[in-house]
Amino acid sequence: MGRFTPHSMVPQPSHDEAAMQDFVKSLRAHLASKVMPGAYAVYHSRVEPAFRARHGRPPQDQHEVRRVMEGDPYYQFWSAMQRRSQEMMWETVVESTERQLPQLVDRARKLGRKPKGSLRLDPGLQVPRYHTAADIHLQPGGYHGEFTADDVAAGAVYDVGVHLYLNGALGPQNNAMGQLLTQYFRERFPGRAPAAILDVGCAIGNSTLEWALAFPKAKVHGIDVAAPVLRYAHARAEALRTAAHFSQQNAERTDFADASFDLVVSHIVLHETSRSALTNILRECRRLLRPGGVMLHLEIPRGSEPLEKFMYNWETYNNNETFAGFMTDIDLVAESRKAGFADGQASLDSYAPRMTSAQKNYSDAFAWKILVAEK
Amino acid sequence: MARARRKKAAARPVTAPPRLPRVAKGRKPQYFADPAVDKLLSITLTLAGELAVTRDRLDALERLLEHRRILSPQDVDAFEPSAAAAKQRDARRAAYLDRILRVVQAELEEMTGAGMPRSAEDVIAAVAE
Repeated sequence: MGRFTPHSMVPQPSHDEAAMQDFVKSLRAHLASKVMPGAYAVYHSRVEPAFRARHGRPPQDQHEVRRVMEGDPYYQFWSAMQRRSQEMMWETVVESTERQLPQLVDRARKLGRKPKGSLRLDPGLQVPRYHTAADIHLQPGGYHGEFTADDVAAGAVYDVGVHLYLNGALGPQNNAMGQLLTQYFRERFPGRAPAAILDVGCAIGNSTLEWALAFPKAKVHGIDVAAPVLRYAHARAEALRTAAHFSQQNAERTDFADASFDLVVSHIVLHETSRSALTNILRECRRLLRPGGVMLHLEIPRGSEPLEKFMYNWETYNNNETFAGFMTDIDLVAESRKAGFADGQASLDSYAPRMTSAQKNYSDAFAWKILVAEK
Repeated sequence: MARARRKKAAARPVTAPPRLPRVAKGRKPQYFADPAVDKLLSITLTLAGELAVTRDRLDALERLLEHRRILSPQDVDAFEPSAAAAKQRDARRAAYLDRILRVVQAELEEMTGAGMPRSAEDVIAAVAE
């Protein structure tokens, strides 16, 4: 179980707050390693046989699996506990952040005084409906909610929360995804030294900074629709003394000129958008790339057979990951072609990181998906 | 200098500290046929969390006391309450059980308590007279 390495923008938990966070970690590890696998067991031992006895065939897709599994008492109990663990995770982090919020806001202001990078907010930007309809992953207030002047709370809550969420699998500074994708880029495109890099849907910039560290000569930009996470991203980058340029923009239509970037990336962002936004974002990524430029999107696995697809979609129905459900049946390579990439320019890769069973919430098989396209 | 800073801080207007929401926007699924079971499970897990926090706090206290050579964890394990202390503990534990199992007792009292109405309709009838 990885430990979180704090920087000066991370809210410091009191003894009891830390103890509650530890409890949430332990509870989620227990659910993932000891309770969740039982959902597969009850499916194979009683749910699927009962379905087969009635219909003469196994459930044909994840939706049929869902209809029968939601009636199974074992699944119900795991599901209800999984939901509660997610709520408790946010509750404890929210309390701890709220207690320290005035100091965090103050610290962010101070860190922004002589910055290595920059922050550009657009108070007129309309936060898309796919953010405002429901709070993504149940984080109260979402990424965009603002509750005080120069609010950074959403960023602080997210930073501590996602560490707990995957039991440290995202690395000591939630930077594992950025490390993975920078390494992937180097191996797939050896010798390339991108001069301008854009991280789309960057949130707190946890992955953005990995690109700045991997390519110190590059100018690295991060965009997001939500102001409080961007304020936090900026302060966090300054606290970690890494130059990155954050701006509040919708990735469906940015204000960057055509062919501004050698590399456009995102880290588990596409499944948080919408049907139309996905197409628009891919088209915008292509517009922003120079000829020969590369687009990389890291995505979460969606499962391979009906039961596993159903389990991965637990978050769709129970954790406000609404669009993730659509992603199961979306062909990202075909979407890239629709967005203007030529045949053969886009492909889908996968990468299985080393994880413990305590870090795999929905299936024993976990492999990141990487959509890669070269313009 | 320090005094001047304190004065300046004191002169600042007092504003209510910012409050963050605890509940996420969206629709919470119902997991069990009876929604009360959903609530009970939620409360139970929260209680389990609170108990874990208390145990960790106790652990911190024991370790601090050991570190300062006031006592060792073995002292706690070997501790035998005096007769008076044991009596106080018994009473406190009984009251504690009364509180956490009140819902069970309440059902029994509703059925058997002296002067309890036989039904809610009886109560409505009583005030309708």
